[in-house]
Amino acid sequence: MSSPITSWDGASTVFTYADKPAIMGFILLVAVAVTVFAIWATVRHEKHSYSSPMPKTKK
Amino acid sequence: MDQATPTLEELHKLLQMSDTINMEIFYWWCIALMVVIHAGFLSYEIGASRLKNALTAGVKNILAFAFIVPTFFFFGWWIYNAFYGGFTPDLAGAAGALPWAKSMGPDVTDNATGIFWGAFVMFAATTASIMSGAIIERTRMSAFIVLAIILGSVVWILAAAWSWHPSGWLTTEWGFHDVGAAGCVHTVAGFFTLGVVINVGARIGRFNADGSANDIVGHSMPMSVVGLMLVIVGFFGFLGGCIIYVPGEQWTNIYGQHTTLSAFAFNTLMGFAGGLIGAYLTTREPFWMMSGGLIGIVSVAPGLDVYYPPFAYVIGMGVAATAPLVQKYMVKKGLDDAVGAFAVHGYGGFAGLVLSGLFIGGYPNVMEGAPVVNFLGQVGGAIVLALLGFIPGYAISLVMKKMGVLRVPAHAEERGLDLVEVPAQAYPEWAITGASTTVANTSSDTGSYDKLHDAKPA
Repeated sequence: MSSPITSWDGASTVFTYADKPAIMGFILLVAVAVTVFAIWATVRHEKHSYSSPMPKTKK
Repeated sequence: MDQATPTLEELHKLLQMSDTINMEIFYWWCIALMVVIHAGFLSYEIGASRLKNALTAGVKNILAFAFIVPTFFFFGWWIYNAFYGGFTPDLAGAAGALPWAKSMGPDVTDNATGIFWGAFVMFAATTASIMSGAIIERTRMSAFIVLAIILGSVVWILAAAWSWHPSGWLTTEWGFHDVGAAGCVHTVAGFFTLGVVINVGARIGRFNADGSANDIVGHSMPMSVVGLMLVIVGFFGFLGGCIIYVPGEQWTNIYGQHTTLSAFAFNTLMGFAGGLIGAYLTTREPFWMMSGGLIGIVSVAPGLDVYYPPFAYVIGMGVAATAPLVQKYMVKKGLDDAVGAFAVHGYGGFAGLVLSGLFIGGYPNVMEGAPVVNFLGQVGGAIVLALLGFIPGYAISLVMKKMGVLRVPAHAEERGLDLVEVPAQAYPEWAITGASTTVANTSSDTGSYDKLHDAKPA
């Protein structure tokens, strides 16, 4: 169950897995990892783009 | 009948909840308006780029926004809450701002944390966008993303902790006063940008071998001008986010001193108008006029709560009239800030802080033991924030330059970054013809297309 509450009466923190720190921590790590991955993927895309053969510039 | 009549306690609770929700709604719309700032930056950067780089400029700007939001969640908000005293964090005080804290997510009893976090995220995105335009057309996307994260989710928010926090040391120890964030947003971003501009170098064709400069004209001045007007619209959200809604009481500024939105309205509009006219007087040119309006607001931002409005008008006019000279000086020194970001934000913010030191001295602070607002505190704060922006901007971009990851290769720059990087076309019916909007300096005989392309980056 992802819900940390069983009733809305007296509820405060209601976000998914708020009562399961290990799962929360895992999701946070995944979020950080995909952010870093996105930067790495940008670097890779650039490397590929800049090394692709291109016709000479017309002058 | 008695049962239908609310008790005083019930009425009190009703009013309190209504006030709390009003506060939340106020900041919600400030956030929405601040998104308009980003739309404005997007438009004006695309317009300021040549046709061959239009989409890349847009993608870069959009990605700054996208990366700032999660990284500000991961560590930016914590920095603000932890480092108000300097470089030593208040670990206990900032525990609630850690990304795994229970307050960092939906909580039906907390109407404040998320909405304030959201407003600060938008300030962060604005700060990163300030740098974005200056380095268009030759900076690697990946390098820009990293620099934007460092500026938006680390540097500006550290500056905000020091200078724009009720317990920030610049205020509690020096009496620093900057209600509209001229320092932590504009000065910091402007000087960070200057550091990066020095290292990234000029666009190919911007300078000739003899040091003379050529204008590189963006492909759509109207798009840039409309974008700048959108930035101005968004600034009303930005400045709304600079004022604290205290349920049941008068507004305060970020330092807890009483103020009103009326005060902000007087001086924002007068500064804006002064800036427009000031830049018109010295340039006659729409891009600088709109930038001048922005400079006008930035330069009066430290004292929006206390300036006499005609005074704000004069200050805005003076700073905006002189900002183009700063841009000219940069060009003379071989620095290619494509949109004048340093002149607008770095100079505008710094000059505004120094002038506020001359003219708003004596206002009392409300923090226990904090000195009154004073000249040395304002000037000292301006210098600290300028250094806080410049040093990391210069140092990190220098390391990137040495590693060869800061700038795109010359062949990609010449072909145009849209063609090389972006699988889409800005204007498919137009032919991409290279650097057709580079205008040679008429005072030089080195203006031919070939010679422009032979010129090396500064």
